[in-house]
Amino acid sequence: MARIAQALLRRLGGMAIVLALVVTVVFIIVRVTPGDPAAVMLGSDATPEDIAQLRTRMGLDAPLIMQYGQFVMGILQGDLGQSIFLNQPVTTALAARAEPTFFLTLFSILIAVTIALPVGILSAVKRGTIFDQIVVTLTMVAASVPSFWLGLMLIQIFAVGQGWFPASGYGGPGTPFLDRLHHLILPAVALGVVNSALITRFTRASMLDVLGDDYVRTARAKGAGEGRVILKHALKNAMIPIITVIGLSVAMLVAGAVVTETVFGLPGIGNLVVSAVLRRDYPVIQGALLVVAAIYVLINFIVDMLYILVDPRVRL
Amino acid sequence: MKKSALVLMTLAALAGTSSLALAQASDGVLTVATIGEPPTLDVMQTPTDIVLTIDQHIFETLYTYDAEWKSVPLLAAGMPELSEDGLTYTIALRQGVKFHDGSDFDAKDVTASLKRWMAINSKGKQVAEVVESLTEDGDHTVVFKLKSRYAPLLATLSQASVILPSEKIADTLTEFVGTGPYALKERKPDQYTQLVRFDGYNSPEGVPSNYAGKREAIAKEIRFVPVPDANTRVEGLISGQFDYADSLPVSAFERVEGSGNAKPVIFKDAGWASMNMNMKEGLLVKKELRQAVQAALNPNDMMLAAFSDERFFSVDASIFPQGSFWHTEAGIARYGEGDPEAAAKLLKDAGYDGTPLRLMTSRQYEFHYKIGEVAKAYLEAAGFKVDLQVVDWATLTTRRADSTQWDIFITHSNFPGDPTTINTITDAYPGWYVSDQKTKAVAAYMDATTDEAKKAAWDGIQTVIYDDAPLYKVGNFNAVSGLANGVSGYEPTYWPHFWNVSPKK
Amino acid sequence: MNTMAAVSMPFASGLRRLLGNRAMLCGAIILVIVVLAAILAPWVAPYAPNKLSIVNKLKPPSMINLFGTDEFGRDIFSRAIFAGRISLLVSLGVVAISTVLGVILGVAAGYFRSLDAPISRLLDAMMSFPDILLAIALVAALGPSLTTVILALGITYAPRLGRIVRGSTLVLRELPYIEAAVAMGLPTWRILTRHVLLNLASPILVQSTFVFASAMLAEASLSFLGVGVSTDMPTWGTMLASGREYMNNAPWLMVFPGLAIVFSVLSLQLLGDGLRDLVDPRLAKES
Repeated sequence: MARIAQALLRRLGGMAIVLALVVTVVFIIVRVTPGDPAAVMLGSDATPEDIAQLRTRMGLDAPLIMQYGQFVMGILQGDLGQSIFLNQPVTTALAARAEPTFFLTLFSILIAVTIALPVGILSAVKRGTIFDQIVVTLTMVAASVPSFWLGLMLIQIFAVGQGWFPASGYGGPGTPFLDRLHHLILPAVALGVVNSALITRFTRASMLDVLGDDYVRTARAKGAGEGRVILKHALKNAMIPIITVIGLSVAMLVAGAVVTETVFGLPGIGNLVVSAVLRRDYPVIQGALLVVAAIYVLINFIVDMLYILVDPRVRL
Repeated sequence: MKKSALVLMTLAALAGTSSLALAQASDGVLTVATIGEPPTLDVMQTPTDIVLTIDQHIFETLYTYDAEWKSVPLLAAGMPELSEDGLTYTIALRQGVKFHDGSDFDAKDVTASLKRWMAINSKGKQVAEVVESLTEDGDHTVVFKLKSRYAPLLATLSQASVILPSEKIADTLTEFVGTGPYALKERKPDQYTQLVRFDGYNSPEGVPSNYAGKREAIAKEIRFVPVPDANTRVEGLISGQFDYADSLPVSAFERVEGSGNAKPVIFKDAGWASMNMNMKEGLLVKKELRQAVQAALNPNDMMLAAFSDERFFSVDASIFPQGSFWHTEAGIARYGEGDPEAAAKLLKDAGYDGTPLRLMTSRQYEFHYKIGEVAKAYLEAAGFKVDLQVVDWATLTTRRADSTQWDIFITHSNFPGDPTTINTITDAYPGWYVSDQKTKAVAAYMDATTDEAKKAAWDGIQTVIYDDAPLYKVGNFNAVSGLANGVSGYEPTYWPHFWNVSPKK
Repeated sequence: MNTMAAVSMPFASGLRRLLGNRAMLCGAIILVIVVLAAILAPWVAPYAPNKLSIVNKLKPPSMINLFGTDEFGRDIFSRAIFAGRISLLVSLGVVAISTVLGVILGVAAGYFRSLDAPISRLLDAMMSFPDILLAIALVAALGPSLTTVILALGITYAPRLGRIVRGSTLVLRELPYIEAAVAMGLPTWRILTRHVLLNLASPILVQSTFVFASAMLAEASLSFLGVGVSTDMPTWGTMLASGREYMNNAPWLMVFPGLAIVFSVLSLQLLGDGLRDLVDPRLAKES
């Protein structure tokens, strides 16, 4: 137990350092941006004097180091600043858009895992067969498709063509929950299918590794049924690397969501980031980058901990 | 005015009154999909289209535009009394008008509001330069005294110069209280702006015409929902989510028409696209080269690529469109077919040395980009070397303020009530159009007091513009929007408005 | 979009190896075709890519225009071929930058113990940003242009190479002959260039292939979002971005550039997998 606690502490320390670096990197990236939020806010008719006036009002004239200090102090207090354009706290803006992104990510990971686990296992068990070759080829192709392009094709076929799903949006204010979820099916498929390729390949590879191991051979030799061998012995041991990949794909799905949300007009965090870039809304870009990176670091940490807890072989 | 236009207007007026007679206050909600989130509701500070569209329901100005884009009374009781020398405007105000907070509208509110407007609004600041004093004369009259004659005064008092209660005025507005037919209830940025019917509304009289005439808040509630993605607006309209969707891509026209749930609405001559040239620095400081640009271009091809087919645009050299009071053929030159030889000759005469022409455009508006692509092809055919820079709108607005960065940028404008409020005509607008003959022509306009005199002066300004070539007018475009079936009484206007509109049953 | 690096496919048997190589051959052939078409574009393409013909706009695929025409009446087939030039150029630039950055950081972290912790933490921090998001922010920061897109994606993918290189260097450092070289007093730079870098070539090559593929997908996404490359010449991503408006009436604007991306990325993945299969699978598994 003490060893585990020690490992936990060490990794917590590492995580804190990484987060501090993340904060600094985000600030640096966002604040070297040319282009002026004041000019964007005032629209095409603004004169330079109007723009200069608004800059002063918005505090964009303060020295960079002061803006950085304020930024760090704010984060420590759970304050990501005020959106320049939306005129509301960044945390509020992010929270208001968390729902579609959360469900989109959840659904696509469900879709990806539902496809990937059985297909990956089966393909490993039946390695070398036609089925296996088809799976290997298909995963290769799926991993080569830009998810936004797949999304557009799905819209064309199933929304515009068949009319089974809404082509875009998330329902207006007051849309019932189930209706909103209906809007998420196509985007989740677009995102999930591309991601399932990755997890399928990983599942297959892990299973192949494990199926060759001694204890699986021993179990077979002892006369355990093939199904039992695969599910009980092999899968159990292959699961840890698979969980890692699933954990990591959650973070990648958030990135994929940026593009997918734009394609499907979903008012999620990805969409917020894209419009924030166009609006030069520094605090929102900062906040969103930070939150997404922090989620990634956290997932990594949890996966690490799972490793330690579950697999005694992992070196502490 | 042309006779046919008169007949049409009368017909429209008749149709308007009959639908008004039938219209009744309704419990319905109108959901309007707009092209984006307004950065603020303070229209004096940020007079962009989206803010003007929403704010016109909440706030009112002293005057407003009728179908001919002439200024007619809104909060004013009538047209101003103008002194002999044309320097004093006495404006009587309507009585019995109330603000949303229940307070009375009076002269004090007008002077306080307009003073704020003259301090922070870009058009207001121009007005401030010629205003000697603005005073109250009793509770229901205000008096403008000018230093020199200023013809666009009423036009500027018709847009963004909104009247707020004097006690709510502050540098940064926190309460948005006006006299309009709808009051602000709630605003959730990036989600919706919710307006509700103002029961104490006191409407001006008269037949509805553009923004003028009787206004009736029929729908109980209007919700403006920002939907920046055009395809989402189309799909939302068709699926019945929106009652009105603003600014649809022309390629969606057939899809909306064939949907059975909504119909496309064309608003003719919504605006005009232009290529503005840098007269301060760089290649195009030479007038011959600017004229060569004009001669090289083919407006029809540019508009066709940008707007798909002729239902959605018209090619017209007059800066103002057919049917407008300001339409004129005066001074038109180098507009039409695109004449590469003539352009090449101008290039040669000017001693063009092959320096690339920096043509800046953005994809914020897809048609800006398309016009840029076609322009590039024509300019190259004439012998220019062209460096087409496709940047985002934020970058474009920043860069164009710096005269070292560009030679041409592409933009669009509406047709303002007063021709001299066109941006390009101002010395300070990016492009920096400064010329003696322009100053003279504009001065003549400012001096004019009658419509006829103004029109003659405008002919002079357009002539000068064609000669100086500060911009190339590409053409007029029609706006396509969509209206759900079952919504009645909607009349297309540049900034869509929803009073007098009955929601679906 | 996808971290192919996270996937390892150790083909156990010789049969699998052969199969893998056949796939690799397939990938190599497609890639050669794409690259040749791009290089020889002016001779291969039937029309100039930017030749406008407004009257012929939005024509469906035919014998005259194999892939149809776009909203300016330009030939999509010709444009797709020329677009390959920019798309390949961007990806190549990204690979170059990320390899240089990744090798410097990775070797420094793996070889010099004192640098390991700070560099590794920095790489961790950089890897915490999803690639597209980081690239968007960087492109927004630097302003969209060909060079900034290359730079942004190069920075984004550098940590991926950095990690692999660090891992391999850690292993190499402990090998007897390197230790012997150190003991003999060979200058450090000499050890690094002669012995370490040379041995890193295969894992770098494998990883670069996957970065190449990822960069191609990322460039398309950035261009699609409107924060990508803006040049006179089209890229597959910008073609998709402008074709979207006509998706209902003229789907060919979307289909062909999309397929071009799929085939190019696929060929790179096949090639990368095959290469990884050829080099020591144990080293490849470090990824």
